[in-house]
Amino acid sequence: MSIIEIDKLTKDYGDNKGIFDLTFEVKEGEVFGYLGPNGAGKTTTIRHLMGFLTPDKGSSQILGMDSRTRSAHIMKDLGYLPGEIAFFDGMKGFEFLNFMSEMKGLTDTSLRDKLVDMFQLDTRGKIRKMSKGMKQKIGIVCAFMHNPKVLILDEPTSGLDPLMQKTFTDLILEEKSKGKTILMSSHSFEEIERTCDRVAIIRQGQLVALENIHDLRKKRRKTYLVSFDSPSSAVEFKSSGNFHILDVNENTVKLSITGNITELIKALDGYNVIDLDTEKSSLEDIFMHYYSNCPN
Amino acid sequence: MLCKPLLKATIKQNYIVFILILSILMLYLPIIITMYDPATQESLNQVLDMMPKGLIAAMGFSDIGASLVEFIGSYFYGFLILLLPMIYTIIICNRCIASHVDKGSMAYLLSTPNTRGKIAKTQAFFIILSTTIMIGIITLVGIILSNSYFPDLLDLKSFLLLNLGALLLYFAVTGIGFFASCQFNDTKNSLMLGAGLPVVFLVIQMISDVGDKTRFLKYFTLFSLYDTDKIIKGETYIPQFIALISIAVIMYSLAIYQFKKRDLPL
Repeated sequence: MSIIEIDKLTKDYGDNKGIFDLTFEVKEGEVFGYLGPNGAGKTTTIRHLMGFLTPDKGSSQILGMDSRTRSAHIMKDLGYLPGEIAFFDGMKGFEFLNFMSEMKGLTDTSLRDKLVDMFQLDTRGKIRKMSKGMKQKIGIVCAFMHNPKVLILDEPTSGLDPLMQKTFTDLILEEKSKGKTILMSSHSFEEIERTCDRVAIIRQGQLVALENIHDLRKKRRKTYLVSFDSPSSAVEFKSSGNFHILDVNENTVKLSITGNITELIKALDGYNVIDLDTEKSSLEDIFMHYYSNCPN
Repeated sequence: MLCKPLLKATIKQNYIVFILILSILMLYLPIIITMYDPATQESLNQVLDMMPKGLIAAMGFSDIGASLVEFIGSYFYGFLILLLPMIYTIIICNRCIASHVDKGSMAYLLSTPNTRGKIAKTQAFFIILSTTIMIGIITLVGIILSNSYFPDLLDLKSFLLLNLGALLLYFAVTGIGFFASCQFNDTKNSLMLGAGLPVVFLVIQMISDVGDKTRFLKYFTLFSLYDTDKIIKGETYIPQFIALISIAVIMYSLAIYQFKKRDLPL
């Protein structure tokens, strides 16, 4: 059963901005990654799902209800983390959480308290004076605290330190094991690869790929840095010519491989390899073949 | 029907500015009332006669009558009542919707099981309620002070009508402000209409009072519908009151309708 259904959703802001003819669905119990560079239309899609915008064409549904006209109904079972964090003026952390609990009609605060502990959140300070990471944690607690069936998270880990990103990943996996349906947007593959089952990729408002995470990993292009014991070994390795070599710098070879790296490991056998490193790849690198026909 | 937690939060957010404006009004009201002296009223009029007529008229102090209610009517209800509560209503109208949309905190309000309509109605209720309380306190304090300083001198019916008119005027002014707040995405545009228009009305009102040459301007300001002289003298005021109520109802309905319908950049 699909929990989130987007059907031919179109919102044209002119200048090729907006979203165009988007169609996809998120099934029950699925963690769905929604990837794209900044300005691709991720947030616009989410705004439609939240009922903030009326589509030019098409429709979106959550739990079988139209997301524009029945949003208040949907919100009973939905947790939302906005991409930009803005709270009430002058409220303290716990005041805001209390306020949101009341707005949601929440009486049992045990889950909320558990989340506050989990993210080591100090709620005594004024929100306005908090760091971005602290605000993000408050937003996360707010999205999860009423134990919703569906979660929509807009760039959830922005501002979090690596330790808290790990905590967040654990939280997502825990919620997934409870059968929650989660849609999260991101501009980085690393952020969602450990949690997501399926991924949609959007570019300039159009869906360019909709794939299972395992298939996507196979297609994924990664850049490796291999350091040999001498420049001559590096040149020798390059001349063997089985790989897509990007660059040779003294004794270090930079190459890119799509998917399986067994061939590389076999080829390196016999060389004296000092170091093997991967270069953190940007979204554009990862989805090179989706983006290759991009005019920019 | 209303969203109680939001109402509570909005009250908490705005009570300081409410108290501040009310305090200033409460500072002026006793001074003005105690300034009234039936005996020296004549001499005061003579002093005012010596000043440039246009200037006095622009401040709404023209035609200072002999009775207490006429005195309060021209000193307090001619200008101060138009200016001070207006500062309050401009601030709260903008804060109630536009500021939440501008900052993005509206996203949190709408991620709860409350419809846009319910949120807008709650905020409208707060604006109407707090404005009514403000005018109500002024009325009450005005009556108490008048009766303690000048027992039996206050024409109660005229005084109550004066306040009712002010309240209806504020329903119309906040209607404009609330509509601006619901209509625009950012504080800047919301204030341009929600604050700009009432201020322009006030300025036009002042200019139109200056003399006969500028009298025609009164057709371009909402404040002409609140004519303190006519109310006190018992001349026609009912059509004006009905007009003010109609403007208020139309603007508030339009505001809520627009807020429900439009796209929100959250």
